[in-house]
Amino acid sequence: MENLWYVAGTIFQLWMSVVVFFIMLPAMFGLSLGVTEVYIQVLVKILEWATLRIQRGQQEQPSAPIPLHTGIIERVGGSMEEEMWQLRCSRPEAAGAFCLSDGVYFCKKGLESIVEDQVTQRFSSEELASWNLLTRTNQNFYYISLRLTIIWGLGVFVRYCVLLPFRIALASTGISWLVIGTCVVGFLPESSAKNWLSELVHLTCYRICARGLSATIHYHNKENRPQKGGICVANHTTPIDVVILANDGCYAMVGQTHGGLLGILQKSMVRSCPHVWFERSEMKDRNTVTRRLRHHVAAKTKLPILIFPEGTCVNNTSVMMFKKGSFEIGGTIYPVAIKYDRRFGDAFWNSSKYNMVSYLLRMMTSWAIVVNVWYLPPMTIQDGEDAAQFANRVKSVIAHQGGLLDLAWDGGLKRCKVKDSLKEEQQKMYSNIIVGQNHIRNTKTCSETREDQ
Amino acid sequence: MGALKSTPAPIEHHDLSEKTGFSLRQIRVLHKRFKQLSEGDDVLRREDFLGISSLKYNPIRKEIIEAFFNRRNFSPSCEGRANEIDFEEFLVVMSHFKPPCSKMTDEQRKNIRREKLKFIFNMHDSDGDGLITLEDYRHVVEELLSRSGALGKETSRAIADAAMFEVARTVGHRDPDEFYEGITFEHFLKLLSNFDIESRMNIRFLKTDVIPGCRLG
Repeated sequence: MENLWYVAGTIFQLWMSVVVFFIMLPAMFGLSLGVTEVYIQVLVKILEWATLRIQRGQQEQPSAPIPLHTGIIERVGGSMEEEMWQLRCSRPEAAGAFCLSDGVYFCKKGLESIVEDQVTQRFSSEELASWNLLTRTNQNFYYISLRLTIIWGLGVFVRYCVLLPFRIALASTGISWLVIGTCVVGFLPESSAKNWLSELVHLTCYRICARGLSATIHYHNKENRPQKGGICVANHTTPIDVVILANDGCYAMVGQTHGGLLGILQKSMVRSCPHVWFERSEMKDRNTVTRRLRHHVAAKTKLPILIFPEGTCVNNTSVMMFKKGSFEIGGTIYPVAIKYDRRFGDAFWNSSKYNMVSYLLRMMTSWAIVVNVWYLPPMTIQDGEDAAQFANRVKSVIAHQGGLLDLAWDGGLKRCKVKDSLKEEQQKMYSNIIVGQNHIRNTKTCSETREDQ
Repeated sequence: MGALKSTPAPIEHHDLSEKTGFSLRQIRVLHKRFKQLSEGDDVLRREDFLGISSLKYNPIRKEIIEAFFNRRNFSPSCEGRANEIDFEEFLVVMSHFKPPCSKMTDEQRKNIRREKLKFIFNMHDSDGDGLITLEDYRHVVEELLSRSGALGKETSRAIADAAMFEVARTVGHRDPDEFYEGITFEHFLKLLSNFDIESRMNIRFLKTDVIPGCRLG
C-alpha cells in the first residue's frame, strides 16, 4: 500500500517537473522547444507515404470508390433569365406550351437541390481527398495493403495510449493553472502590474492548452493584431478557435454564463481582467448586449473584444452570413481569418452529432491541429453604409484571405427554416419574365382571333 | 472497423446500376445523400424533403416532391401514390434525369426522351387521370406565377386559359366554348416534339481525379 503511494508520488513529481521545465517556462516566454515541429514533419512524411500506397492500391482496384470534392454535380452557371431564354429559343413557335416546358427548368433546379444543397453541405465535415490514417475519416478507403494497415494500427496505439493521456494531463494542468492563476491575480489591486500579470497568466495557460492539442499555429501579418478598444471578428469553426487566437494576444471574451466547471472558469477569469459574460435572460435583449459591449469598447484601455458573428460553428470550407449585431457597436473592427489544415485532424465541431466531451476527445486523439491565422487590416464602417452591408464587406475580406467560400446563407439555418421572403423572390423573378413575354403573346392572340372572325 | 475489411459494393447496388444506368460510384453518392435526407432511415417521407433549404426557393417544390411519391414514375404500369419510398424507388425517379450517353441507339434515345417527357407530364397531371385538364394546367400556372403575389390569381388564370386555348386550337378546336377534355400524353409528345429535353433535363455528376499528393502548404 505504501509502495503504491510512493510510486504515485514519484510519478507526480516527475510529471510536474516535466511540465514546469519543458512546457510552462517556455510557454511563459513564448518560446518553443521545437518538438511539435519535428513531430509534424515526421507526420507529413508518413502521410505522403500512405497517400502513395493508396494511389497504387487504387490503380490496382479500379472499381474502388473514389471520394469526392466539395461538389457532386455540375451546375450550369447561368441566371434564371438566361436559362429561360434558352428554353424558349429551343421551343417551337406554335402551341401555348410555354408553361409546360418552363416547368422543366424548375424541375431540374429542384432535383439539383435534392441531390446536393449548399447549406447542408456546410454543416457536415468536409471529405478528405486522401486518408490521413484516422479511422474516422476512412469512409471510402478500404483494405489496401498490409503495410498500410500496420502503420494504421501503430497510429491508433500511439494516438490513444501515448498521446491521449499526455494531452489530457496537459490540458487539465493548463486549465487548473488558469483558474488558480487568475484567482490569485484577482486579489491584487488595480494597477498596470496586475494587467501585465493577468496577461502573462492567460497567455501561459492558453499556450499550455494549445500544446495539449499539439496545435501548430502560423500567424500571418502580426502587425495588424487587434489593439485595445477594438473588436476582433473571426470565422467560427470550433470552440478551440478561442484558444488559437488567445495564444497570441489577450482578448476580452463575450459569452453566456454557464454553470459547473465552465462557470468556475468564467468567474475566476473575470476577476483578473474584464471579460463580458451575460446571463441567459440578458442575451435575449439585444439592446442590453449592445450597450454593454459599447461601454466596454468606449473605455479604450480595455482588451479587444472577441466575437464570432456567424453565431454557430461552420465546417471551415465557407463563411456564412455575419450577424449585423456585432457591427452596430461601433469602434474599429479587426478581421481575422482562421483556416484549419484538415490533413492532421478535422477541427469542425458538429454540435448535432457530438457533444463537447466527445468532441474534445476526438480532438485529443487526432494527430495534430495545424492552423493558419491571418490578421487583416482594421476596418471601420463607412458613411452611407448600414450594419448589414458593413458585415458583408468584412465577411468577404475574411473569406478571400482564408480561401473560403463566401456564402450569403444564415448559419442559423442549421436549426431553423428559410424565411418566406426569400422564397417569394424567385417566384417574382419568374413572374416578371412571363408577364413580359405574355403581354406580347396575348395581344397577338387577340388580333388573330379578330382576323378569323 | 472499416479500415480493415474489404467491402465491395453490395449486390443490390450492382442490380440497381443495371436497372437505372447509374454507375456504382454515382449510386454510392446518391445512397449517402438518401441517408442524409432520411436521417439514417431506410425510407424517405415527404417531410424529409422539406428540410432542404434551396428547394424552398422553388415555386413548384410540391410537384417535384410529389413526383418522388408518384407510383407512375416508378414503373409505367403502377398507379397511385406512395407515402414512403425506399432507395430503389428514389434512384428510379432520379434516373429520369440521367444525362444522355454518347453511344446510344436511336431507339434508346427515343425511349429516354419519352421517359423524360412522361415525367414532366405526370408532374403537370396532378390528379393522375392521364390527361392534363384545364384545372391541372391552371394549378401549375398558379404555382409558378401567382404565389408570390406579383400576379393576381385572375391574371394567372387568364394566362392559363389563353395557353390552353392555343393548345386546343392545334388539335382542331377553333371555338373557345367547345369543351376540350385535356392534353393527352400523345398530344403532349407532339407539342414538345422539337423541344430539346435531353439536354435541358439532366444532372451531370462531376468527374473526380485520383487523390492529389499530401504536401505541407
